[in-house]
Parts: sequence; C-alpha cells; structure tokens
Amino acid sequence: MRRWGLTRGDSVVLLLAFILVAGLYVKYWHSDGHGAETLVLLDGKPWARLNLFHDHDLVVPGPLGESHIQVRDGQVRFTASPCANKLCVHTGWLKQGGEVAICLPNRVSLQILASDPRFDAINF
Amino acid sequence: MSQPITESMSQRIKTTRDDHLIAGFTALAITIHIAESALPSPLPGIKPGLANVVTLLVLCRYGWQMAAWVSLLRVLVGSILIGTFLSPAFFLSAAGALFSVAALGIMVVLSRMLPSWAPGPIGLAVVAALAHMTGQFWLAYGLFVPHSGLLGLYPLLMSLAALLGILSGWLTRTVLSRLNSLPEK
Repeated sequence: MRRWGLTRGDSVVLLLAFILVAGLYVKYWHSDGHGAETLVLLDGKPWARLNLFHDHDLVVPGPLGESHIQVRDGQVRFTASPCANKLCVHTGWLKQGGEVAICLPNRVSLQILASDPRFDAINF
Repeated sequence: MSQPITESMSQRIKTTRDDHLIAGFTALAITIHIAESALPSPLPGIKPGLANVVTLLVLCRYGWQMAAWVSLLRVLVGSILIGTFLSPAFFLSAAGALFSVAALGIMVVLSRMLPSWAPGPIGLAVVAALAHMTGQFWLAYGLFVPHSGLLGLYPLLMSLAALLGILSGWLTRTVLSRLNSLPEK
C-alpha cells in the first residue's frame, strides 16, 4: 500500500467505497423494471405470492377444478383451466406491474406486483 | 483603480490574503470547468471532474472553508459563463458541489477525531466524487426524471464516479507534492 502512496485512511475509504458501490448493484440491479412478484388470488383472497424470477408451476384448486399457472423468466400465465371459455389462458403472458389475468368461473386471478406499476387500472 | 480621480468615488473594500487566494483558485477552477464542459461525454452526468482537483488542492493546503468557497463559486460563476445558470444542468452541478463539500467537511471532522486514520487526497477525492454523484443523481431522480428506470443507472454512475475520483485524487496528490516542494512564499 505504501508503494501507491495510500494512507491507512485512503485504504479504508476505498474499501468502504467498494462495499457501497457493490451494495448499490445488489440493491438496484437485483430485478429489472418488470414486476418482481406475482400475487395469486383464490376466491378474492391471497393464495400464493411468487417471485417471478424463479420458475414455478402452480396448481390452484378452484371450485370448478384445477387452474394451472406457470412462471418463467419474469413472466406468468395460466396454462390450463377447467372453465368454459378459457379467457384466463388466452390472456397470455403477464410481465408488467399491474397486469392481471382473471378466471371468474374458477375464482382464480393473477396479478403482477410492482412498486411502479405500468398500469393504474385496467378496464375490459 | 490606479487613477486618483476615482479614489473619492469608490470605497475600497478591505480584502484579505485568503480572499485573493480564493479568487485566484476559483478562477483556475472555472477555467478548468469551462474547458471540461467542451469535452464530449458518453453519459450525461459523467465528467472527469478535473475542476475538483482544484477544490481538493485548496482543501489540503488551506482548509475546508476556503475549499467550500472555491467549489461553490466555481459552480456559480462557471454556469454564468457557460450560460447554464438556473438551468437543470446548473442545479445538478450545484447539488453535486453542495453534497461533496458537505462530505468533505465530514471527512475533515473525522480526520481531526482520528488523525492516524486521516485519508489523503485519494480518499478525499473518492468521497467527494461519490457525494457529488449522489447529490446530482437524487436531484435528477427527484426533480427531473422521477422514473424508476433511472435507478438502474445509479450503481453504474457510482462506479464511474469512484474510478474518476481515484483519478482526480491521484492528480491532486501529484500536484500537491510538486507544490509542497516549492519554497513557501
């Protein structure tokens, strides 16, 4: 350290600066602008909360039967549903904060949670 | 002011040696600031911060108070000369300067409490650069672009600030050692 002309204080400052910057990467680059979590509701009540960056396959037992939910690469969708018109499955992949997919007959819904939602409200 | 006619009209303001030093160093800092503003930058908010070398020199040689004067006057006068006074660029620059002056003040106090752990120019420069970027970034985020996408840039900007801080600290140390080897006037 002497060779570089750094004092003890300099080394401490550099070490702390390194820790600070590394911490900032962890804090701000951990997830991207998409929603980080999805909330699954059954009968209007929270049933599961999933991290979108870990792949999951979820089976939700609704009143009609099993709704299948798939999480891949920061996105989530219904893959199968016992309902008649499969609106929830046709909604496709959700990834933006505030997006929702709802299966009214089977009383299951999905929404993306985000601190900065892409949508404030959605009308059909 | 050498003409005797004006002497009755103008009241001479007493200036001290410190005032002259502040004026001289500020002029130097402004020159560097303006020269630097002509350099193209890959990212907004990233500049080598060479004018801060002058602030650090003054801090190491004459103390915090004079460094604060030089830094803040440089931002004010520099922006008037470049034509960015009261524009967003000016406020960003001013926020950065205020933060870095405050951070340097804290470092000076800490150094006084723990003299054996006092950082040299490089440590001070890194602290100043990180504080500058922090002040600038949070003002930009809070006032101009309050979008969470901007937060993704923060770690990147802070890494660059730390690297550029090391560079300006190294420059400061080089200039300081030359200055210190000169006979004191």
